[in-house]
Amino acid sequence: MKLSESLARLRYGLFPDHLVGEVLSKRWTDNAIPLVFLLATVIGVGTAIPDFFSLASLADASRQLGEFAIVVMGLTIVMLGGGIDLSVGATFALSAFASVAVIYIMGGPIWLALLAALATGAVVGAANGVLIGYLRLRAFLTTLVTFTILHAIYSILVVNFSAQVQLADVQTPIWDFIGDGGVAGFPISLIVAVLVAILAHVFISRSRLGWHVLAVGGSRRSAFNAGISVRRTVFMTYMISGLCSGLAGFLIGARLSGVGPGTGAGLEILALTAGVVGGNSLGGGRGSIAKGLMGAVIVLILTNGLIRLGFTSGTNQMVLGVVLALAVFLDVRWLKNRSKVLAKVYVAPVYSALPSTPSAEPDSGSPFALNDRLAETEFIGLGEIEGPEDVILDEDDNLYCGTRNGEVVRFLAPDYKQWEVFAHTGGFPLGLAFDRAGALTVCVGAMGLYSVARDRTVTRLSAETNRTPFSILDDARLRDPNDCDIAPDGRIFFTDSTTRYDAHDWALDSVESRPTGRLLVYDPRNGRTRTVLRGMSYLNGVCMAHDGQSLFLAESWACRVHRYWFDGPKAGRLDCVIAAMPGYPDNINRASDGGYWMAWLGMRTPSYDLALRKPGMRKRMTRRLPQDDWLFPNINTGGVVKFDENGAITEVLGNLGGHSHPMVTSMREHKGALYVGGILNNRIGRYRLEGADPSWTGMRSYWGEGR
Amino acid sequence: MSLLDILRGRAITIPPLDGAFRPNTLLEDAEAIARLTAPDDLIVVDGRVFCSSGDTVVALGETQPVARFDVRVACLAARPGGGFAAGLEDGRIILWQAGSGPEIARPAGLDCPTALLFLDRDRLAVAQGARGLKPSDWVRSIMGHDRSGAVWLLDAAGGAARRLADGLAFPWGLAANVDNIIVSECGRHRLLSVPLSGGPAKPLLTGLPGYPARLTPAAAGGGWLAIAAPRNRLIEFVLREDDYRQSMMAELDPRHWIAPALASGRNFLEPLQCGGVRSMGVHKPWAPTRSYGLVVRLDARWQPVSSAHSRAGGQRHGVTGLVEHDGRLLVASQGGDVVVVLP
Repeated sequence: MKLSESLARLRYGLFPDHLVGEVLSKRWTDNAIPLVFLLATVIGVGTAIPDFFSLASLADASRQLGEFAIVVMGLTIVMLGGGIDLSVGATFALSAFASVAVIYIMGGPIWLALLAALATGAVVGAANGVLIGYLRLRAFLTTLVTFTILHAIYSILVVNFSAQVQLADVQTPIWDFIGDGGVAGFPISLIVAVLVAILAHVFISRSRLGWHVLAVGGSRRSAFNAGISVRRTVFMTYMISGLCSGLAGFLIGARLSGVGPGTGAGLEILALTAGVVGGNSLGGGRGSIAKGLMGAVIVLILTNGLIRLGFTSGTNQMVLGVVLALAVFLDVRWLKNRSKVLAKVYVAPVYSALPSTPSAEPDSGSPFALNDRLAETEFIGLGEIEGPEDVILDEDDNLYCGTRNGEVVRFLAPDYKQWEVFAHTGGFPLGLAFDRAGALTVCVGAMGLYSVARDRTVTRLSAETNRTPFSILDDARLRDPNDCDIAPDGRIFFTDSTTRYDAHDWALDSVESRPTGRLLVYDPRNGRTRTVLRGMSYLNGVCMAHDGQSLFLAESWACRVHRYWFDGPKAGRLDCVIAAMPGYPDNINRASDGGYWMAWLGMRTPSYDLALRKPGMRKRMTRRLPQDDWLFPNINTGGVVKFDENGAITEVLGNLGGHSHPMVTSMREHKGALYVGGILNNRIGRYRLEGADPSWTGMRSYWGEGR
Repeated sequence: MSLLDILRGRAITIPPLDGAFRPNTLLEDAEAIARLTAPDDLIVVDGRVFCSSGDTVVALGETQPVARFDVRVACLAARPGGGFAAGLEDGRIILWQAGSGPEIARPAGLDCPTALLFLDRDRLAVAQGARGLKPSDWVRSIMGHDRSGAVWLLDAAGGAARRLADGLAFPWGLAANVDNIIVSECGRHRLLSVPLSGGPAKPLLTGLPGYPARLTPAAAGGGWLAIAAPRNRLIEFVLREDDYRQSMMAELDPRHWIAPALASGRNFLEPLQCGGVRSMGVHKPWAPTRSYGLVVRLDARWQPVSSAHSRAGGQRHGVTGLVEHDGRLLVASQGGDVVVVLP
């Protein structure tokens, strides 16, 4: 091996390039930008003002933060629902006035003051909600109007009643405690804010209504089509925002023991900036309470910091404006480019040198030499089915296959001209196997392991296995369940080919060639799924050996076949039976002569084999070219090979040029004929096998005579 | 330059098939008039159409070859006043007249004739593809970034040879244009105008969507251009990937390279691109491909006005020779082993 190749192998083997894509594909990466900004703000302001983060300073700031954060959270919920609320500042002020008026003018009790504040918020929220949610007015204009009206009312009230409030001599210890006191050093407003935050977070992320809010914000039309009451949901968000402003108003009323003409002025801009800077999308649907809180902290530190630094309020506003503009810009760019960047950086190739192998060229004289015998097949369901990855026959000779439409289709014996949808599973049904009771076990791509009983009821057997510690991608879920087979005791062994790509992107896994395939076993006795083997290169076909104690496993991108003993004296042993092939193996199934049929889904090409040794080249290729132009393994030509217990090749069936069966992903022998399926084909082929046992069926081979 | 380029590297683009190059199936549906093995160059001599195929020159419609050589015939040119010249794979240039062929004297370094053009009975322009390579090694020249091509002017009467241009990337076609020779420069996807009087070559038409091969004049003015192979983003990428490209050229059989080709899809060891995957029995005509059939009509200013195509998955690929005869255009599809006629 050349030095440059050894270096490439080390470089791409040791450095976890794939983590970049995995991290980017996580929703929580949306928090990255606001978090960085928060840290930058803290460090920047902390350096500029030495005692900014002193205790005294913090106590004062946290009191402000409490009220402000509550308002921001209300606004965040409105934004998540796809709306905007400009009336929060005015609601806040009016609620503060309401509570102050109850205490100082009416001499009422605290609870009444709180109730008055909340009622004010609720009334405003309800007004906004009815106008925007039910009457479907524009959120921006409507709340601008409410803001103007409320502000006018507030100004009138303040002018008329502020003297009364100031002159009132009312002593209410609890009121003062709420305003100035605290528990264990934490001001009441902050404690209330934390409680509200927990409540709001649970509401948004865990409750049905919260999910509805996100759904409506993400796409009103889809939410409506999904049966969500869009109008009521929108109404609710404004209601919540109003209540939050009301609560915050009560708290500031208590803190200031009164209200002034400046109370709540400019608060809507501050809150809006906080919401957006935190990373909540203005378009709705994306964001969280945590982001709102982060934004609130950023904005508060920024404004307080600027004041402490002696900037005038004009400068202050300008800085906020710039920050808001920057946040909106980043929001738009991030939203627009995230998926693009992800698509570009997700594929993270590794070095892979395939061993050299005898040629498959027709005149090469090697045991693998392809011929054109599969061109002689008769077609079943030509142009009527799409993507029969696996085919199987039952004891009545009916033929089953999955299709890319998420259906298991049954062709009726004896001529297979008529067909019906046997069951709808969704996903992409791939590997098939009959269990002892005659139920069809199906590996459904992107979903999991399913069982279709004889009465066509679909049951999910397994959709998850144990998660690997410290994995970023959730590898507990089954991403690409590919083929299954059933042991004599009923345990279902099945493969999950990759944890990195979804079922329909299976060929991309080859470009990456990172071994993440797994062999799993589902035990029907306790319903649990366990990972048996991991770290294999696109683990694909699995087939019970005739001894009932071991199974054959095909590693597609490594062009290898293994034998794994799960029972008996050799239990746990893994042997490589075929170490190198000129084709990529797919499903393996039993043959009547004691051997095994194996599908080749495609053929190795010299240029691709070379590219596998050049991970850097493949990486740049995926970034600089559109996917249609990427170099792929040749999956336009496939074939079927038969091997014996020792891995020696005994027969090859090919289709040169691939006009009948461009790729073969599965085949089943049944009563002297071979049925051929392919994941990208629109037909099933039937090939008459010369000299094969005309009575042999897979059902009898597995479950005994009489079947 | 976009912000994304930092993350992914500059995206590789190729000229789109649009405008005069809008795809159609004219070439694919054209009438076949002769089935030959790898027909290469076409000329008209005394009303008969001659075509080079392997080591023979055949006249279309006749069973016996007109001439047979000991190596492959690389290019042909009709000689005013009768006879023709043939450039051979080993570098020789033969003047053929009535059954016999003396070799014309060549200057040192002219060893790869890819196109010939008589300006009059004696003056013969020769395109030299690449030094040290054979005329059929055009793929190696392109993948090797070879720039040793040249255009020579020889004198059949024994005068001195003159080099009109050099430093070219596999010139593959010649056409006369008043005081200039139009040269198709395969490796740089362009047409050049080379003055006969000497002086620098001037680009006439750049950014072709394929690798241009031979040129032939049109009776109505301007000419026709054969495009041997399409440009392909993966190939352009490999051309920039020196490490991979050099390993590929050193280790792999040229038939299996990621490189332009005159025909493709015949062997399962050839490279496949994602878009070329056959799905549900369909091979997309717009799939990325290494071979393509394309003939371009050029106006009097040598700008493209229309084109005839055989698209991905088609048969009439790898057009290298063409000639007008009886008001119709004959096209040699080397990849499709056929000579077709365009109305």
